[in-house]
Amino acid sequence: MGMDRREFIKSCSLVAVMGLLFGCRKIPLEELAGDLPSLKRFEDEVKLALSQAKKTLDLVKVPTPGALKIPGASALNRFGMAIDLDACDGCGKCILACNLENNVPLVPDEDAARGRFMHWVDMRGSAPFMCVHCGNAPCERVCPTGAANHTPDGLSAMMYKRCTGSRFCGANCPVQARKFNFNDAQKLGLARQFNREVPLRDKGVMEKCSLCLHRLQNDRLKFKTSLTVDASAEEWRGRGVKTACAEACPKNAIIFGNWLDEKSPLVKLTKNRELYAPRELADLDPSVVFMRGRR
Amino acid sequence: MFKYLMLAGLALFLPGLYALGYSIFEGPSAWMVDSRTFWGTPISLFVFWIGLAHAGTLLSAIFLALDIKLDRRTALIAELSTLVCLVFAGIFPLMHLGVVENFYMVMPLLDARGNFANVGSPLVWDFCCIAVYALLSLVFFMTHLKTREIPALDKYRKPMAWLLFPLVLWVHTVVSLDFATTFVPQWRGAFFPVYFIAGAIFSGLALMNLLLCSEGYRVRLLERLQLIFSWFMCAIWIWDLMLKGSFCTSAFIFAGVLPQFRMIAVIRENKWGRIALSLSVLIGLFLERLYIVSPEFGSYAASPLNWIDWGLIAFSVGGFVLLFFGIRRYLSWKMEGAGSYFGEVDGTDLADAEQQELEKEGARGIEKPKKGFYIQPWASEEYHVLRLPLLVGFAFALVYSIWVLSQSVFANVEFSFANIVPLLYPVIALVTTVTLYVRAYFVEHAFTLPRHEKWASAIVLVLVAACAGAFFAGGSSQNSTNTIDSQSIGVDAPVSQSHARLLWNTRCATCHGVDGKFNEKFVREFYPVPQKLDVQRLDSLGADSLVKVILNGRANMNAYAGRLTPSEALGLVNYMQTLAKSATESAKEGDNDSAR
Repeated sequence: MGMDRREFIKSCSLVAVMGLLFGCRKIPLEELAGDLPSLKRFEDEVKLALSQAKKTLDLVKVPTPGALKIPGASALNRFGMAIDLDACDGCGKCILACNLENNVPLVPDEDAARGRFMHWVDMRGSAPFMCVHCGNAPCERVCPTGAANHTPDGLSAMMYKRCTGSRFCGANCPVQARKFNFNDAQKLGLARQFNREVPLRDKGVMEKCSLCLHRLQNDRLKFKTSLTVDASAEEWRGRGVKTACAEACPKNAIIFGNWLDEKSPLVKLTKNRELYAPRELADLDPSVVFMRGRR
Repeated sequence: MFKYLMLAGLALFLPGLYALGYSIFEGPSAWMVDSRTFWGTPISLFVFWIGLAHAGTLLSAIFLALDIKLDRRTALIAELSTLVCLVFAGIFPLMHLGVVENFYMVMPLLDARGNFANVGSPLVWDFCCIAVYALLSLVFFMTHLKTREIPALDKYRKPMAWLLFPLVLWVHTVVSLDFATTFVPQWRGAFFPVYFIAGAIFSGLALMNLLLCSEGYRVRLLERLQLIFSWFMCAIWIWDLMLKGSFCTSAFIFAGVLPQFRMIAVIRENKWGRIALSLSVLIGLFLERLYIVSPEFGSYAASPLNWIDWGLIAFSVGGFVLLFFGIRRYLSWKMEGAGSYFGEVDGTDLADAEQQELEKEGARGIEKPKKGFYIQPWASEEYHVLRLPLLVGFAFALVYSIWVLSQSVFANVEFSFANIVPLLYPVIALVTTVTLYVRAYFVEHAFTLPRHEKWASAIVLVLVAACAGAFFAGGSSQNSTNTIDSQSIGVDAPVSQSHARLLWNTRCATCHGVDGKFNEKFVREFYPVPQKLDVQRLDSLGADSLVKVILNGRANMNAYAGRLTPSEALGLVNYMQTLAKSATESAKEGDNDSAR
């Protein structure tokens, strides 16, 4: 051997230093580069929101949602959800799942103290509460630019690039389901893109629950592609798609589906149940409802 | 006197300007908003100033239209105060936006991408009505200012007054609909238009009385009207209290109780007493606007106003004082030689003096046809001055509504007639005024513009056209930096036709369509229409440059480098060629079919 002890230790420590450098390379750099908030902060914020949640929710009975009455609506699809109040125990896992899925930013401390969170899912009356995607949505009616509009599939959608931030939609929502980006979360280091499929929102635009629109769009694209290849003629009904909150629910209390599809779990599981909606929204044809009663 | 007022205005304006700049930089979180309200002080200030802006035109135009005598000086001050108030009423809704540079999207005009504003939104009505109101008020003021120099202009004042009379009421009704069409319980009610109009006239009268105090004279008619409107407002407030239980005590005390002191002669006859009465009305009505916009204001849940709110208030008050008295000074200095433009006489019976002066000069206004002579209806002066422009206005409004109703850009936004009705009168008024003055200038030669004014108007026209063009083109459609995956899929190897078809259907078909005949509805909503697909075009561009376009993007086409490999892009170009061929063939077949 042509290596003495000193040489050996030197090369060993060099290898160790190299290894350390390489091992360190990725995670600390990524953390430093964007000054990204840790997952822990998102979890803590959800806990804080849960502790500040409203305790009551005024519900009234509503009929099963049917086909939309707006021009251009699809006769096949109307997506929605039902939240099972008998199963839900208000754990709040859906809130965190939604935040991570849709890159919902944190808020500064003073906003959190006032209860102004960006969460698309709130907890009201110890049940998750989000935009109900009204068939006759008051927010869309007053949006001056048409940034808030309805898709043919029954989603109340937002075009972030067309939003001027007049906040008229927020003022007109009877349940305050819309959240306004008062802060530049990206600059303040409060936003983190957990999910690359959903863009981060800029300061000054409105946002709210999108019913995981990107998941539906992915499924539609996949379906259409395979359709051209297989040439099996059938319409897309969004089967097999689940929203992030529905996926995260340990009790399966959130059921996502298509109100117009007999095979959808939503239609199957809401049969023989009483459907409820918040009193202010009962006349606006909500797509997201609460259910209770016989199973 | 005016100089000191201007200095006081400047002292308020400068720190206010800092607050304005800071809040534009910081966005809507700068001023006080609690978790329930989204709007806050700027919208309160907007409602307050737009209310004040109705004083001038209301008094001057409605009094002129109804033949109530108001002297020239008072009328001019009223009209000028309208214009200055409108400047500040216009700033607040613009600065309160989250994305200020997107404000043009509110205009109900088509842009190059086929976007259209949602004409069902009261905000769109607001924007248009206020813009038209500002323009017509400016024209009305300038006409009035020039009548001493060019008496021929005088006959256009009354038609303008008749156009502005409904417009004033229309604009404030639309402002009240911003609130009344929402779901907020405190804002709902069919009485809101009346409530807002009454509040606007009341605050406008108070402002007029305050400005007249600074001029050193008084018009008793306006003071009496102010008292009468305070009773009217009290009635509405009590009605609101009985209906919904909402009541702003401080507003009631300032604008309901304190103005009653006018009934005491000592206060009424004292200048400072009158100033105090008018100020109390203005303060009361501002508090009321604050209470309307943020119903939780003053309750334990809301935080008090912060320094930005105070800064915005100081900005508008100081700015008004500075601008109003600045223009006032400039005009009286500039026009001293050409006669007292504002009628700088101190006295109370100015109206009568002016009337006598008018009688001396002979009748002005539109010539009435003499009895016993037959004049063809379209040859009379009344027809030329009044009816023809009005007919043009109506025709334009008709064409506009047909055009809007034929648009089907947003399939989900209802272009029902009810939605564009609020825009119709402003359109009529605008087109009528333009016709009136274009005719007066080019056909009747009623007035001529000096050379520098000609240049100024040409520059303004060019600027307006440039802005319209910029708004039509819209903002840049740069790719968002944070969209979907940037991983390339697959290895860089030549791709088969079937794989290319798969790629086309996933990546391209959303815009360009499965068969290459683009998906028109989607594309029109977001981008200008892409080029049509045909073989000649593809050949002339060449495969290499098309691959580059796919990878690097061009104009509104997104860049796909990182999501597609170069050979996949080449595969797509080849696939496009087969699509183009099949499209030409089917077109030929179609031609043959039609030929047969």
